[in-house]
Amino acid sequence: MSPASAATTGAARVELDVNGSVADVRAGLSTTLLTVLRDDLHLTAAKRGCNQGVCGACTVEIDGVPMRACLSLAHGCVDRPVRTLEGMLETPRMQALQRAFAVSGAFQCGFCTPGVLVAAHALLASDPDPDEAAIRRALSGNLCRCTGYARIVAAVRSAASSLAAPANQASA
Amino acid sequence: MTAMPQGMLWPRTVQEATAMLADDPDAKALAGGATLVAMMNARVVEPHALVNLALIDELRGIRSEADGTIRIGAFTRHVETAGCALLRGTAEVVWQAAGKIANATVRNMGTIGGSISFADPGLDYPPAIVAADASIEIASVAQRRRVAAADFFVDWYTTALEPGEIVTAVILAPKAGGASYVKHARVASDYATASAAVCIEGRGTVRAVIGSCGPTPIRDDAADALLSGDRSDAAIASAGALLEARADPLDDVRGSAEYRRLLIPRLLLRAIRQAETSIAA
Amino acid sequence: MSALAGTAVGLSVPQLEGDDKLCGSAQYIADLHRPGMLHGAILQSPHAHARIRGYDLSAARALPGVRAIITGDDLDEQHRMGAFIKDEPAFAKGKVRYVGEIVAAVAAESEAIARAATQLIRVDYEELPAVVDPAAALAPDAPLVHEGSAQYIKVFDAGTDGNLCSRTEFTSGDVDAAWAGCDTVVEATYTTQAQAHVSLEPVGALAEIDAGGRITLWSANQSVFRVQASVCESLGLPMTKLRCLTPRVGAGFGNKMEAHVQPAVVLLAMKARRTVRMILSREEDFETVRARHPFSIRIKTGARRDGTLVAREIEVLLDGGAYGDDSPGVLGYALLMQCGPYRIPHVRARGRVAYTNKLRFGAFRGFGVPQVTFAAESQLDELAEQIGIDRIALRRRNMLVPGDPWFGGQAIRSNGLAECLDIVERESRWREPVAAPTPDAPSGQRLRRGRGIALSAHISGLLASGAIVRLLEDGSVLLNTGAVDIGQGSNTVLTQICAEALQLPVDRVAIASPDTDGSPYNWGTTASRVTYVTGRSVVGAAAEIEKKLKAHAGEMLECGVDDLELLPGGKVAVKGVAQKSVSFADISGRAHWAAGGPLIGTHSWVFDQKTFDPKRAVALGLPFAQIGIFSFNALVVEVELDEATGQVRVVGAWSACDIGRAINPMLASGQIEGAFVQGMGYALVEEMVWDGARLANPSLMDYKIPTMGELPETLRAYLIESDEPSGPFGAKSVGELGINGVAAAIANAIADAAGVRLRQLPMTGERVLRGLLESAAAS
Repeated sequence: MSPASAATTGAARVELDVNGSVADVRAGLSTTLLTVLRDDLHLTAAKRGCNQGVCGACTVEIDGVPMRACLSLAHGCVDRPVRTLEGMLETPRMQALQRAFAVSGAFQCGFCTPGVLVAAHALLASDPDPDEAAIRRALSGNLCRCTGYARIVAAVRSAASSLAAPANQASA
Repeated sequence: MTAMPQGMLWPRTVQEATAMLADDPDAKALAGGATLVAMMNARVVEPHALVNLALIDELRGIRSEADGTIRIGAFTRHVETAGCALLRGTAEVVWQAAGKIANATVRNMGTIGGSISFADPGLDYPPAIVAADASIEIASVAQRRRVAAADFFVDWYTTALEPGEIVTAVILAPKAGGASYVKHARVASDYATASAAVCIEGRGTVRAVIGSCGPTPIRDDAADALLSGDRSDAAIASAGALLEARADPLDDVRGSAEYRRLLIPRLLLRAIRQAETSIAA
Repeated sequence: MSALAGTAVGLSVPQLEGDDKLCGSAQYIADLHRPGMLHGAILQSPHAHARIRGYDLSAARALPGVRAIITGDDLDEQHRMGAFIKDEPAFAKGKVRYVGEIVAAVAAESEAIARAATQLIRVDYEELPAVVDPAAALAPDAPLVHEGSAQYIKVFDAGTDGNLCSRTEFTSGDVDAAWAGCDTVVEATYTTQAQAHVSLEPVGALAEIDAGGRITLWSANQSVFRVQASVCESLGLPMTKLRCLTPRVGAGFGNKMEAHVQPAVVLLAMKARRTVRMILSREEDFETVRARHPFSIRIKTGARRDGTLVAREIEVLLDGGAYGDDSPGVLGYALLMQCGPYRIPHVRARGRVAYTNKLRFGAFRGFGVPQVTFAAESQLDELAEQIGIDRIALRRRNMLVPGDPWFGGQAIRSNGLAECLDIVERESRWREPVAAPTPDAPSGQRLRRGRGIALSAHISGLLASGAIVRLLEDGSVLLNTGAVDIGQGSNTVLTQICAEALQLPVDRVAIASPDTDGSPYNWGTTASRVTYVTGRSVVGAAAEIEKKLKAHAGEMLECGVDDLELLPGGKVAVKGVAQKSVSFADISGRAHWAAGGPLIGTHSWVFDQKTFDPKRAVALGLPFAQIGIFSFNALVVEVELDEATGQVRVVGAWSACDIGRAINPMLASGQIEGAFVQGMGYALVEEMVWDGARLANPSLMDYKIPTMGELPETLRAYLIESDEPSGPFGAKSVGELGINGVAAAIANAIADAAGVRLRQLPMTGERVLRGLLESAAAS
């Protein structure tokens, strides 16, 4: 039981599906998914940058779709599969993104990076060949203060290309 | 007296939901959470009970009704509205507005019912659904009723909803023609500094609405009548002046009241011309 | 350019911490967890200026789960910190000086309890009149933010008096006489706004205390040594009692260079005798920490009819906020840099910082130079227009060439500015006309295009740095410099420098995390100093290790040390006889077990080139006598201006930086690109707005930074290598250089697009539209 979430009035047990496993935690009504992920489950990839849904550092997948963990109540996530960056590390799509981000210099301090990767991962799942406009549209909700964004766009394009032509892809 | 239910409540029908809200006036309805949870995080509201609308099938989805209207369920997320091919003709203004709300991730979460119930004048849906002449279906424990969109937005953060009522659908009667929603904001994903929503029916009837320039979306019958007969630059300037006279904009970090007034005729011109191209298209 | 072994320098090595960051496992301060730790929360002042009469902690103490509460009563009046003026307590004592200032803090079993407890603390305030305008603050009858300002310890001749925090003046030549010799004189006033850093990571700290009272402090920071000094000074602790460490840091841009919540968190840990972690919310970060100085600038420049610059007079007034922080440095540096990279023989540059009842203004990328460059480079365009000379021709005529010193007389030993200008002029197609105004078909509302240019400079400096290089038992190397990597990649760059110096592959060099217990002193990650200043330390320490390696190898190979050379891969060999060699591992074994002892190379230095030559210039109130060497930037920007709304967007940016040598081209380019976009926010959108004395927009909903939607279609960084003789492998630093010219280049582009000259930042759609309407009315 995490003191952080259970100290809220009316903490109750809630069973969540996180990264394919059952997570049994106690959470108050106002406890967000972000708090449960970070403080109870120690899945700290999702970050708290603003707690208002603006910065995107808390982006995770709920029901297969990128959403803000800071705007999702823990009790509201019952029966809705949650996937964090930690749960996507084995996918070829995420690995292609990570390789592209590393060689493109698409991150600096890294604080926004998990949210960006989750959003980019979802974009490539629904649109394997996004053009620059589509990438900007999908990622406009992820603020970055360090990189100036150009390398992030280039890295997502590069990952898309490498996934489309696996035969040509240099080994990792 | 029995203790009020605490925590998250999961009604399966609109009737159950409205009954829960009627029983506990302090409970709040929860849709996508984009608005309500942000307020909870900031401790602006601290409800002890939430009526979660997510399991109510009736509230989901966009469908074509037998009478030719389009019914957008209140729990329809913005991403779905923004991608919906049924929203054609004058109804296009609603999908254009949906696509400009916040950013892609927030559009996956927010719902039309939740959004308009909050009635933040800076939102994108209000001017669009007023321009589309939508009606809002509202449910209480006792009855369903419909309110014209123009009458739904009453004041700053105030709608025609009575305590215990929820929005169940936004109903559009699309006409052949074109539409445009023009949003002027500081950066992508920001609230509008000012916006203009215009619907032009094939036979020339115009509805022009200005957003973010007062407590509610701004319309003027005389402006619409003028534009319905004449869409020259001069007519648009006159219509713009009529709308500007009805505006009551704020000074805030997005812009001064004076700037918003300057924008009204300019955004109106842009929206009308863009709506015209969508008729041709 | 000096030859390289090619093992490391010049390679775009991905960041060493990349795997952790890309897997989400990097541990930032908010991710650190200790079993049984307490959580801290702050109580903020609701008043801009008030005396604290007393505290009633009874209700807060009674809340179950509360373990410690601290207030100004726990602080000693004598203990104050401050980079230039020791005017700042650990948190408010006796008085509050701005809305949002930390007044008290609570440590409790959960964050929710700690926050609830802060709301139960009753503070008895006696409100005082507040002053929020810097000019009003300097008026004779203004309320005093610091009654005792004259008594504070200062590290330089600050001239502190009442609400005058510091004053500085630099002069060269005879400005008053020089105006007569000018054919054209332009004078104008410019104002710039407060900009918030908005690092994605809010500030936080975690303090652990052992049974003997020694504290281990983790915090989001840009200098473990500044944290140590500030906490010890403000709490009266001997430095031996405090060890400061750094987790992964989520950027800083200057916000985390000086203290934030660390003193409060340490004091909570001391009082509770337990570990305490405190992370500020985004709103608290906006309200309590620091921001970029607003400047008001009066500037006057005179030239001859052929465009030769003759005279410059500039007067600046800085809003310093409630505490001095880095203000005197920002003032002095801005005045030093306001000439830009040009020869101007007659100069008077003076300024003042005023205390006001707002949060402290402090270090932020550029450190005063974005502000003065906005004014100076805008004025050069106006001058060019009045004289009737091309904007680039005017700059070329006057720009510093190799051999010219900086204003004040400091010699410049590498100057690639001409190459920077050439490349951006060419790549931006400056000589071709911009695209004609496109009608926003079909409304007829036009989108106009224009281009602007700005030349600027920045230093790579200053103060002290050390490095320790140790040979590990297997012949690999451990580097320890104490420099904090805040995301810019300094760990990677310093590792590359060390690897190159010893001709090792990068993966044979590890770099230690900064630790005041184990690292040599490093002033901090600021002032664009790490590649240059710390890089030089690394080269020096590696050279010492090389000597020791050769001393051993000479004995092992039975030859003189002068006959030996390093070979790539960790070997010392007889010159020209590669087979006669010993490996670093062999040497290490000998050293550890047989002769000499562990091999340790060290280097320690303070930047010592004097800023001012007293024969060339006079300085009054100089906060730093030795600052740094110079890097140069040329920036061209193309904008599109929407006549209907006044909104300006940048469609192209070409930024060339002379950085001496690019140790890691990818990371260097990343700094230039990131600095550009941050500067674009400063130029067009960002503004902290006060409603009286209260910050009106302390949230990301209301304070907007550029999103990916604002990224220009073309954003290009160019690295020019002029080979700085004093730099590590010829390198200079690049962290701040790219932001300085952005607002000016955009202002100049707006003037080019629409004939509107804006002299206030940010250049919002509203301000541009007003400018368009005014110039239409005037014509």
